[in-house]
Amino acid sequence: MSAQATGPETLGSLSDEAQITDPNSKQAKEISGKSPMQIAFARLRRDKIAIVCAVVVLFFVLVAIFADLIAKAFGVDLETVTACEVLECNFANPGVGYPKTGPPFNDFDPSHPFGLAPRTGADNLAHWIYGCRTSLLIAGAATLFASVFGIIVGLVAGFAGGVVDKVLSFVIDFFLTIPFLLAALTIAPIIIDRFGTSDSYETVQIASLIGILSLFGWMTVARLIRGEVLSLREREFIHAARVLGMPTKRILFRELLPNLTAPIVISISLMLPAFVAAEAGLAFLGIGVTGSASWGQTIANAVPYWSNYSLYLWEPLIGVVALVLALNLLGDAVRDAFDPKTRR
Amino acid sequence: MFAYVVKRLLSGVVVLFLISMSVFLLFWYGPSEPAQTICDNDTSNRCTPARLEVFRENLGFNNAWYEEYGKFMKGVVAGREIQFGSTTKFDCPAPCLGYSYRTKAPVFEEMKDRMPATFSVALGGAFLYLSLGIPIGVAAARRRGTVADKALVSSFLVISSIPYYLFALLTWLFLTISWEIPLFSDTGYFPITDNPAKWFSGMLLAWLALGAFGCTSYTRYSRGSMVEVLNEDYIRTAKAKGLAANTVVYKHGLRAALVPVITIFGIDFGTLLAGTIFTETIFDIDGIGLWSLQAVAQRDLPVVSATALFGAAVLIISNIVVDVIYSILDPRVRLS
Repeated sequence: MSAQATGPETLGSLSDEAQITDPNSKQAKEISGKSPMQIAFARLRRDKIAIVCAVVVLFFVLVAIFADLIAKAFGVDLETVTACEVLECNFANPGVGYPKTGPPFNDFDPSHPFGLAPRTGADNLAHWIYGCRTSLLIAGAATLFASVFGIIVGLVAGFAGGVVDKVLSFVIDFFLTIPFLLAALTIAPIIIDRFGTSDSYETVQIASLIGILSLFGWMTVARLIRGEVLSLREREFIHAARVLGMPTKRILFRELLPNLTAPIVISISLMLPAFVAAEAGLAFLGIGVTGSASWGQTIANAVPYWSNYSLYLWEPLIGVVALVLALNLLGDAVRDAFDPKTRR
Repeated sequence: MFAYVVKRLLSGVVVLFLISMSVFLLFWYGPSEPAQTICDNDTSNRCTPARLEVFRENLGFNNAWYEEYGKFMKGVVAGREIQFGSTTKFDCPAPCLGYSYRTKAPVFEEMKDRMPATFSVALGGAFLYLSLGIPIGVAAARRRGTVADKALVSSFLVISSIPYYLFALLTWLFLTISWEIPLFSDTGYFPITDNPAKWFSGMLLAWLALGAFGCTSYTRYSRGSMVEVLNEDYIRTAKAKGLAANTVVYKHGLRAALVPVITIFGIDFGTLLAGTIFTETIFDIDGIGLWSLQAVAQRDLPVVSATALFGAAVLIISNIVVDVIYSILDPRVRLS
């Protein structure tokens, strides 16, 4: 039947949509089905705050990835210098321990755009760039491990039910009762002390932080996924897959997992900013990253110099706040996009 | 109800037992040389292998862990004697959580000394959570959809997205260091029995920082809960029969809306009691949080394990209390 056969003899088209003949035409694509992901992304693209936050996050990610190149472009590095070459070491002068060039007491110095750190003479810009890398590396890796582990535990607990579910739920509740900060405080120094030899110290420190953050971050994902699986596994398509004799592994990863995209994306959006904040917080307390550059560590170093050299504190602080804020607001927008009922 | 509480208490004891064992194992197998700290400390950093061996032997690090764990648990229940070096023995009455490696004082006694500081922080902060958060939340819910509501909700969202410790740090840096406001000049813990006014002014800034930050999430909870309740049929009925707007909102609405808020509050309050590490560090309050942080830096293992156990116990108890209170507040919830 031709598309224009709507003469008086026919009943006409049932819907007022244009009839499509060519499945590859532009119209055909417009009314084709959209996955929940696509719908969510379409909503996100219309959200102005989300776009701004995404740009900010992207900026930090690029800084982290190209840290070496950016540091080279500005001609700065993490190398420690002899402090008296760049700092005021003449004790007759006021401002002992403060940099000879740049802020706070001198004019802007283009070779050190963010100034120098008092007492150590380290370059602030280099520490800022590499601090960004440390922060995103630890938060990203911890998010990855925690969500993979949480998803597996949640899937198994929800799908297996019975004793397995009881045991896994108990483990989840057990980990939820442990106060995170206290646990991190207790475990981090011990692991670092145990495995950190002088040459591998930095790596061990970062690895142990990733381990601790993931160890105490997976429970919320697991709980969320378990709840979803509990309701999904009674749905017809899962019953059908079982009746057809599909292996359990296939049901879990091919049938269930794609339906869990929304809760997974939502929990990742919650975890990332929390981990960035936790990393900087632990470093601020002196039990996080100490071997390499970290924003939290710089903030702790800068507190005593606040009255004379507030710029030193503002630089890492703005880094942490901007990144965490952007990640949080972006996460909020993502949650709204997946579930319009929770509109703020 | 009674059976439920007993069941929860029993499972709480099991969890606490597991945590105490994990903490014990962590300190047993974790550090490469657990006796090093006390040996360094006792010999003014002239620790010889021979001296170290004496400490290892006396502290039981040469025995099997389960043997020592048994001794530790016996100490918690009935008290025990602790010997560090070759000569002096310390009597540690129940509940014995060990002797500090640094100060050679019973850990439990030191913890008792520091509890008032942490409790002061937690009580004041929690009071402000509720007394600021709920009224603002209710006001926003009554005006929902207006510009004021939207501005409030989005500004609070931004504040609560900033990490708490940076908020507290900036509060302290600006109010105490930069602007030198006399009221906030001397933060810290001063015993309330000595000088209540000084106690109040020392705590005030910590309370304000904690309360101002924490109330943002309580505003969101109570606003959300209130908006939901105000849409219920019985609220419409109350309005229809001509009750005053305030009576409807506060007597009929708020009571129902507060139930979920109170449960979240219970957990938060427990977390505060377990140790407000950032608040105590930034405002220099000598409570349990700061103590545990210092103990970690000094590798004072008995103190670290005691604070970890204390924190877990407080959280478990607050969880149980919240569940029981929830069932009292909301008769629809049946505990079983």
